[in-house]
Amino acid sequence: MSLSWSRTSRVIAGTAAALAVLTACGGGGDATGSADGEPVRLTFWGWAKGSKEVVDAFNASHTDIEVTFEEIPSGNAGGYAKISNAVKAGNAPDLVSIEYPSLPEFVSSGALQEIGDVLPESARAALLPQAVELTTLGGKSWAVPFDAAPQAFYYRKDLFEKYRVEVPTTWDGFRKAAEQVRRADPKARIATFFPDDPTTFEAMAWQAGAQWFKAEGDTWKIDTTDPATTRVTAYWQGLLDDGLVHKNASFSPEWTGSLKNGTTVGYLGASWGAGVLKGTLPEQSGKWAVAPLPSWDGKPASGMLGGSTFAVPKSSRHKAAAVEFATWMATTEEGVKARIASGTSSAFPAATALRPVAKEAFDAGFYGGQDIYALFEAAGASITPQWSWGPATGTTNTAIKDRFGAVAAGGPTLADAVRAGHDATVAELTRRGLKVEG
Amino acid sequence: MKARTRAAALLLTPFFLLFTAVLVVPIGYAVWLSLFTEKQSGLGFGGSETVFTGLGNYAAALGDRAFRDGFGLLLGYCLLYVPLMLGGALGLALLLDTALARARRFFQLALFLPHAVPGIIAALIWVYLYTPQLSPVVRAMEAGGIGFDFFSPEGALPSVVNIALWEWLGYNLIIFYAALQAIDRSVLEAATVDGAGAWRTAFSVKIPLLRGSLAMVALFTVIGSLQLFTEPLILSRGTGSAVTSTWTPNMYAYSAAFDRNDYGLAAAASILLALTAALLSFAVTRLTRDRKEKAA
Repeated sequence: MSLSWSRTSRVIAGTAAALAVLTACGGGGDATGSADGEPVRLTFWGWAKGSKEVVDAFNASHTDIEVTFEEIPSGNAGGYAKISNAVKAGNAPDLVSIEYPSLPEFVSSGALQEIGDVLPESARAALLPQAVELTTLGGKSWAVPFDAAPQAFYYRKDLFEKYRVEVPTTWDGFRKAAEQVRRADPKARIATFFPDDPTTFEAMAWQAGAQWFKAEGDTWKIDTTDPATTRVTAYWQGLLDDGLVHKNASFSPEWTGSLKNGTTVGYLGASWGAGVLKGTLPEQSGKWAVAPLPSWDGKPASGMLGGSTFAVPKSSRHKAAAVEFATWMATTEEGVKARIASGTSSAFPAATALRPVAKEAFDAGFYGGQDIYALFEAAGASITPQWSWGPATGTTNTAIKDRFGAVAAGGPTLADAVRAGHDATVAELTRRGLKVEG
Repeated sequence: MKARTRAAALLLTPFFLLFTAVLVVPIGYAVWLSLFTEKQSGLGFGGSETVFTGLGNYAAALGDRAFRDGFGLLLGYCLLYVPLMLGGALGLALLLDTALARARRFFQLALFLPHAVPGIIAALIWVYLYTPQLSPVVRAMEAGGIGFDFFSPEGALPSVVNIALWEWLGYNLIIFYAALQAIDRSVLEAATVDGAGAWRTAFSVKIPLLRGSLAMVALFTVIGSLQLFTEPLILSRGTGSAVTSTWTPNMYAYSAAFDRNDYGLAAAASILLALTAALLSFAVTRLTRDRKEKAA
């Protein structure tokens, strides 16, 4: 008896030891680090273009902190699921990329650490106030804003000239231009509606002056039936019903394919999209140009589409080092230069003083040498200021996305989708025990 | 006797260790999670408080139309998928059973190969074949005057059924084929002597003798269908298709946890799904056993 049982217990002990090793691999590093001369080891999860180059540059110039970069899928493509899963499991990295729309959701689920105590005032002062505003929730600071993401309209300059289409400055003009493009080439469309990405649509509503999520006292006011939203919804429904835009998933192979063969001649995106196009379509270098987003009254106006911040998950024991690294990426010349010089990023820094650095580092040959950063600068200044994101954007956007896919002639409409997003948000906030009106 | 007990204990230990680690503990944790919910105050930025909610999450899942619709969808899926699968696999197995010995090997392998492709890869390949501006299949169909949108609300279900058929047909075919091979040759010879042709033998002799395999495959297919997840998830992300994030009960649980950060609801939905599968399995095994006992 004793012999075999001791063997059994050895097996158990062995298994337990193996499990312990596995768990240890998943856990964080040492808590102190730099005290004994060893560098603090950080793990950073992100997907933004040029992240790897930035991390390499940081590691090359720093001995006290060593960062390991792990690329994850972009937030909506599964990156956020990965982050929240890791936070729940207690093995999240020390720093993660989170876009502005999703930050409140992560904060309200208790996934992040407040960073106000380790973010130097000088860094905060160097950043665009709107961006700081979007990362300050409930009076506390939760993330280091990296870029501002004003909207922009990218278009095929050569095809616009060939088809004799004027670059539109208003949405009425955009519709006319869309008709002209289709007339010139029945297969071609001026742009694409992204059914998988509600944030592009929300940026349009933001530009028009909508304000879906409003915090008043301790009550959330949800309003998606305002005139601005209604106008944007009806406008895009019209474009879809009349077949004036393609309906493809964002950054999908079909979208890329249609850009490559010239059946999509424009892209309604944001500042960071310049790098994406350049990286995706190298063979079309020199054929593209950027214009300000068309507006309703012809005056410059913009929403913000995406844009990254860096936040520290609650399980990290290296908050100060993580914020130091994030601040380096966002507010130093070396950090911004390293990212843009990778050639694939056209990020528009939230650190206003570093925009000339970004401009200098970005090779605008793809855009025929156009000063795209001057355009972003103007667009950035025209960002409609009142918008803020609600604490349940995961719910809001999932509900909208689910309906966008089914929007079809005679079927569900964009307005139905927005309504569904509204209702789902109100239900979710109520469920969480928050006060909500709308 | 003592030595034998010891040996049994020793040999069973790894099983129970793994069984506990990968089944009992996770299920227990899911049950535990499903009893709690997160409550917040103010604007929700002060962090959240985990509170006991009893069966609140179960009520919320059952009260959510999206969750119930998921089961409705599964029903539609089974109604379309199970007959096609059984008919297809059985038909092909009968064909193989009558084919030339050499061609048999080739077809057996060729039809089984798709099953060796992981579900996620299969889904990615099919998404490519379904995508309007990329797919040679869609282009060929359009050239032939057939316009079908695989991503539309009407097209999504057949699209997923098609992927599942492609993945599983070969597998079930092998089961039927093995059962056909196991049929006593003298029975088939007797049928031939009695003047039965190939059709008559198939319908009056082979298929009735395959009843057991048919029931088993049908059961596994239905229970497997309850777990439908990978293929529609790939179709729902990054294609702009009409497949929603809560299309099947499994996807509902996934979306609750990872899109909405509601782990309690996700756990409750998972347990409800697991209970459904367990009940269904129990009912069907009970039913088939009763029938067998009666027959015996």
